[in-house]
Amino acid sequence: MKKLLVFLGVILLAFMLFKELKRKRAPQVFTTTSGRVEMCLACHDEAPEKVHAREVVGCSPCHLGNPLRMEKDLAHAGMIKNPGDLRVVEKTCGRPECHPQMPGKVKKSLMATNRGIINVLLRYWGEIPEDAKNRPEDSVEYLLKTGKNSLALDYYRKLCGSCHLWMEKGKLPDFLAEKGGGCVACHLVKGPKEAKHPVLTRKIPLENCVRCHNRSGRIGLTYQGLYEDEGYGTPYLEGDFGAETLIDGRFVRRIPADVHYKAGLVCVDCHISEETMGDGKAYNHFEESVEITCRSCHGGKGITRKGRKIPRVKKEGGKWILEGIFTGKKHELKPPDPIKCEHTVHKRLSCQACHSPRVPQCFGCHVRYDPREKQLDKLTNRETPGAWEEFRSYMRLEEPTLGVKGDEVVIIVPG
Amino acid sequence: MNSRVNSFIAWAAANSFLLALISGVFLAFPFRVEMPLISTVGIEGVLPFGDFVRGLHFYTGQLAFLFLLLHIVYSLRARSFERKSWFSWSLLVATFPLTVFALFSGYVVRNDEIGSSAGHIAESLLLEVPLIGNFLNHLLMAVSKEGVHRVYAAHFCISFLLFIGLCGWHFNLKRLKIWDLVYVALVAMILTVFYPPLLRPFEPDLSVLGPWFFVGIQELLRHLPPFWAGVVFPSIPVAALWAYKKYSKLAGIILVAWHVFYFFLSLVGFSR
Ligand code: HEC
Ligand code: HEC
Ligand code: HEC
Ligand code: HEC
Ligand code: HEC
Ligand code: HEC
Ligand code: HEC
Repeated sequence: MKKLLVFLGVILLAFMLFKELKRKRAPQVFTTTSGRVEMCLACHDEAPEKVHAREVVGCSPCHLGNPLRMEKDLAHAGMIKNPGDLRVVEKTCGRPECHPQMPGKVKKSLMATNRGIINVLLRYWGEIPEDAKNRPEDSVEYLLKTGKNSLALDYYRKLCGSCHLWMEKGKLPDFLAEKGGGCVACHLVKGPKEAKHPVLTRKIPLENCVRCHNRSGRIGLTYQGLYEDEGYGTPYLEGDFGAETLIDGRFVRRIPADVHYKAGLVCVDCHISEETMGDGKAYNHFEESVEITCRSCHGGKGITRKGRKIPRVKKEGGKWILEGIFTGKKHELKPPDPIKCEHTVHKRLSCQACHSPRVPQCFGCHVRYDPREKQLDKLTNRETPGAWEEFRSYMRLEEPTLGVKGDEVVIIVPG
Repeated sequence: MNSRVNSFIAWAAANSFLLALISGVFLAFPFRVEMPLISTVGIEGVLPFGDFVRGLHFYTGQLAFLFLLLHIVYSLRARSFERKSWFSWSLLVATFPLTVFALFSGYVVRNDEIGSSAGHIAESLLLEVPLIGNFLNHLLMAVSKEGVHRVYAAHFCISFLLFIGLCGWHFNLKRLKIWDLVYVALVAMILTVFYPPLLRPFEPDLSVLGPWFFVGIQELLRHLPPFWAGVVFPSIPVAALWAYKKYSKLAGIILVAWHVFYFFLSLVGFSR
């Protein structure tokens, strides 16, 4: 018995010695400038951007884990790769000393709930009554939690289910892996090579929005002067497709871009944070949420429909200007022409009715459902029975049809 | 030592205590009281074998407390107190809360999230003690004003004085059997290797629990005013232990009932 004890003791000590020889001890205790212990810094040389500098923030406030340990497994216990994911964001970006109001707002925003899409689909397909509104169950979060399904929801899950902020970044295959990620879907850009770390920024580039906003409404494409062609890739040039292709294989052709794009403006030059991150209210449709109008900038005082100030619009030297986020230039904001735009005979016309000379239209867009095949459910990342296919045909780039909505003459687009 | 008490357990308690003292001395050199958490992390992450020694200190401390509890149960059942004067019985009973303090202050001293919050709660509880609350707090805690300076001194001094006092008068160190010591050391080593004690980083959520034996009191603090939950309630078992010499039956019932209740309080606390 005693021999056994001694034997066991020697083995344990030998094991400790072996472990000690094998492991790399930190040269010192690493702390942030405020004196918080952050042993992640002993192994990691990644350097996030200035506002989240590694000496100041460290790593664990964002990536969690245990910053008090030096062993990789123990330090990485509970660590997360993407702090912006809406499942953890209250503990990371939204922690009390950082951005505590943001997660709640963002989770209510349409881009997180997709309530507009889901509600309209269910209504148009007759699965809920025409007047059904404010349904908390019309949200991605609810679908993720309950796994609820129906024909309309199946369509949503398979064809639209990757364009929401609950989407886990890197989960889906191919180009879809880039999508989603919560806060990171908008705020993350590639960092400089030597930093080894992506950069979180307020200067949100166009690509981040267009990663989602490139279908149905096609706002992201048209804005840049891209027209989604029919699927032929014509005209052929030198034996190959003449048209450019998008990352997902769709063909596009160059058309004149939006005046604002040409001036170097991006989506967030116009769309303020309350529209994109939400203002804390749970809306049903984007019409209720969008607050910027053309007049906010042109002939207005930099105030949105809901009375909020657009951050970079101000009056300088008697003129209203917009300071471009990326251009850094002071762009003059011209008021609408009193005759050409605002003649009383044109009072009911929306600005776009005249100022959008061409609009992509899809007269032949339709959908096919094949119950025999399988397709990826983008919410659960699993193949389930039933495959949807969208077809585009009779694509036209033409003067838009005008229609009357309320008392206003607006553009009406099929597709 | 009395032959009717379980001598293995009695010596296991003494041995764990001794090992905790020895490992504590090794930790005391690199420990810096003005930067408690930083130096504790340094001991674990920078010093060779540092985490091993800290693990041993942690587990021998825990074992000392657990074996002491067992030892008390056995001794009460063996009625060994009958041959002690009231004076020496009172002194002996007083060593129990001191041992708990030695263990508790160890958590406070390392000053991670568990320790730091336990320190602040203990400070506000000490201030609830009538008349001498302020004095006690200054002697033992005062973490909010002075960091862990006082707790550390108390941790160190009380542990040593306790051990010296006990060997002078409760057991004879000369009779210590080396194999009992080896046995306890092995248990602590195995625990250290397979379940290294973890420091808990500060987290924004408010679900901080104190040391495991403190969770029941924390739970009770949610339901009762601090004076009752944090001063009167924990004094009950100590008073009952003391009174056991005369009113064994009643005190026994109180002790069992208190511990059953405390067990459930802790369960509720942990499941939050
Ligand atoms: C012992 C050294 C060590 C420590 C300490 C350490 N890491 Fe790491 N970490 C690594 C290594 C090596 C990798 C490379 C990926 C791998 O092998 O798992 C890594 C990878 C990562 C990644 C990328 C994971 C992925 O899936 O791409 C993140 C994020 C990360 N660590 C965060 C942390 C944080 C936060 C801490 C502190 C709480 C920390 N690490 C502490 C060594 C360490
Ligand atoms: C302000 C929050 C923040 C801080 C502080 C931060 N990170 Fe990150 N980190 C992120 C975000 C956001 C991502 C992008 C996650 C994604 O794209 O899935 C990221 C990505 C990473 C990656 C994966 C990179 C890749 O390209 O796959 C590693 C590794 C990493 N971080 C390590 C660290 C380390 C080490 C530190 C500390 C020096 C640190 N981070 C500090 C927010 C942060
Ligand atoms: C993860 C995909 C995704 C990203 C990234 C994204 N959006 Fe959206 N966005 C959507 C979806 C889906 C809707 C429609 C939701 C609905 O109506 O149900 C939407 C709606 C909108 C709306 C109208 C509704 C509202 O809440 O105001 C605006 C404006 C908008 N997006 C602007 C932006 C801008 C600007 C960016 C870049 C900073 C951006 N979006 C990035 C998916 C995304
Ligand atoms: C749909 C895109 C989008 C998403 C998702 C998003 N943001 Fe934003 N965020 C913006 C825009 C646009 C701004 C305004 C930028 C500007 O005008 O400088 C902004 C600004 C901010 C600012 C600057 C301060 C302020 O009040 O304007 C912070 C901080 C911020 N976001 C945090 C977050 C956090 C945290 C999340 C995730 C919970 C998040 N954002 C998700 C688009 C987004
Ligand atoms: C020059 C300012 C400006 C820019 C730049 C801009 N938008 Fe808009 N956007 C508006 C205005 C104004 C409206 C509201 C139109 C209305 O009320 O009919 C709007 C409406 C929207 C809507 C609501 C849906 C709709 O069809 O009306 C979405 C979605 C949207 N924008 C997304 C984007 C995206 C994505 C970008 C970048 C690719 C972008 N916007 C760039 C001004 C702008
Ligand atoms: C956030 C402010 C903002 C909003 C909202 C906005 N614009 Fe503009 N617009 C500008 C700026 C800045 C320029 C000047 C760009 C430049 O420097 O050339 C501009 C230029 C124009 C021009 C060209 C003027 C010229 O110089 O010939 C037209 C036309 C125009 N906008 C129409 C619209 C319409 C229609 C809307 C609504 C759908 C709208 N704008 C919404 C900021 C805005
Ligand atoms: C009936 C058609 C019509 C409507 C409606 C209309 N515009 Fe115009 N707008 C024009 C024409 C035509 C021009 C002159 C274009 C040119 O000179 O090349 C113009 C010019 C402009 C300019 C440039 C002014 C300048 O000084 O160079 C701005 C800015 C503008 N419009 C904004 C608006 C806004 C904002 C609205 C909505 C409130 C609007 N327009 C409504 C037809 C219209």
